[in-house]
Amino acid sequence: MNELVEKIGQCVERGKVNKSSPYPNDMKGMDGADEFTRQALEAAVGPDAILQVCNEGMQRIGARFSRNEVFVPELLMAAKAMHAVMVHLEPFFKTGSIRAKGKFVLGTVAGDLHDIGKNLVRMVIEGNGWEVIDLGVDVKPAKFLEAIKNTPGCVVGLSALLTTTMVGMSKTVQEIKAQFPATNVIVGGAPLTMEAALKMGADGYSPDPQGAVAFLDKVSVANITQ
Amino acid sequence: MTDQQWEMLQKTMKGEVLNPFPVGFIIDCPWLPNWYGINILDYFSNDDLWLKANLKALQDFPDVMFFPGFWAEYGMCTEPSAFGARCTFPLNEFPHAHRVIQSVDDIDLLPQPNPKTDGLLPFVLNRLKLTQPKIEAAGHKIRFAVARGPLNIASYLMGSTEFLTTMMMQPEKIESLMKKITKYLKDWLHLQMETFPSIDGIFMLDDIIGFMGEEEFRNFALPYFKELYDANVSVKFLHNDAPCKVSAPLLPEMGVNLFNMGFDITLNELQQLTQHKVTLLGNIPPRDVLASSNAAKVSDTAVRLVNSLQDKSKIIFSCGGGMPPDVSSENITAFVCAVRK
Repeated sequence: MNELVEKIGQCVERGKVNKSSPYPNDMKGMDGADEFTRQALEAAVGPDAILQVCNEGMQRIGARFSRNEVFVPELLMAAKAMHAVMVHLEPFFKTGSIRAKGKFVLGTVAGDLHDIGKNLVRMVIEGNGWEVIDLGVDVKPAKFLEAIKNTPGCVVGLSALLTTTMVGMSKTVQEIKAQFPATNVIVGGAPLTMEAALKMGADGYSPDPQGAVAFLDKVSVANITQ
Repeated sequence: MTDQQWEMLQKTMKGEVLNPFPVGFIIDCPWLPNWYGINILDYFSNDDLWLKANLKALQDFPDVMFFPGFWAEYGMCTEPSAFGARCTFPLNEFPHAHRVIQSVDDIDLLPQPNPKTDGLLPFVLNRLKLTQPKIEAAGHKIRFAVARGPLNIASYLMGSTEFLTTMMMQPEKIESLMKKITKYLKDWLHLQMETFPSIDGIFMLDDIIGFMGEEEFRNFALPYFKELYDANVSVKFLHNDAPCKVSAPLLPEMGVNLFNMGFDITLNELQQLTQHKVTLLGNIPPRDVLASSNAAKVSDTAVRLVNSLQDKSKIIFSCGGGMPPDVSSENITAFVCAVRK
């Protein structure tokens, strides 16, 4: 049984989604995250154990990404494999067998249609046990405000790829902070730095999805201890 | 660019260290319209305002080389429009194109665009033709054929996440898409060159390069860029302000001899990575310093940049990436003065 669980973690790390996926080349024709998760659940492996091993797989690939050993396509494939696992685990979230750590409202800011960073963060954070409300790309400040209003206690993540859309990001952060000062906001994206993030009034910044997970975990612990 | 500026550019690219040091900026719709005092839609839709905005920048900063110079563009909509992408033009925000490929099967159905007639490309060309006499009367020439790069266009047509994951899952589909886009871009660049014999440069912008590892870069980027830069022009200019450590050593093989990078890498490091074969345009932080700081901080950052260089040849001082919105004239002047002093 342990071997089965280990294989799920390996599939997540390597981005092996399912048997029909030709990626990665050396795992062609082999079962993937989809098949191994089904088999594990049939063998009565607990969903918590599966989620845990997925997180470890994502952490390993995330660490390799931070060291520039793998790049965005590999990370996206890992997130895709993670998603294949999450499809099987979704019923357990719904019944409360697994509890979400919190709610995370996420979107790429107005004027920016890039979804790579946002999608990576969504998939990694979902895999880490958070419920993600994905508002998509080119999200106007009003849409963020409405989502925050409808999701009390949420944390907000703003993504931008373009240098040009950082102005819009700054405006969005300011509007959120003006209306919901207690809401934690994390920003991320290629043109950003911690200095720029703090200047615009954000509570956190991360250059990669693993950093966003660390921020959310910190916020979550702070909320619990308050 | 004037003949004198073009000559300065050529000398710099040959390794001559000019005195004073050259300064250049990429300028386009994120900065120029609002700096000139008009909204972005007016800039796109009115030939006269477009020309006046460009001419004012040249007049106010005569010591700056502006790249590509008189860029007739419709932001990110320009090239995807020829594939039938729906284009959204807000009044004073940057336009964007909507994806046309909803599933990988759509790739085979995608039309092969004709740059002479399709999308916004005839508008781009005609704007340049109509304004060419005034551009030349001001002492400038149209020097560059310009296009977004093939990976950038593919990511707009398909969505960047889908593009990069399909690259891993169904590489043959992405190869087919890249071939189609490359043929289109080649036609487009050559049409510009045929129309304006003064063109002696190709300028492409592609930041999707920055997200790939070396294997993907060699398979899905290198051969297509090589083909596109394989033209009889002296300046082969690439902008990629996403990470560039993987692609930088391969810039000479791509055919690139002038490069504008992101601000997260030093010019010294890039000189090493490119084996000193590529002229570099950069590299102060565009937003944190050039747009958001005061003139004193801009000046100080520029001086530190100049002093940090072990080898000052093949460098054009600029910011990492293009000129961002909200950069003031005062900050540009401070940068130019600090570098030239």
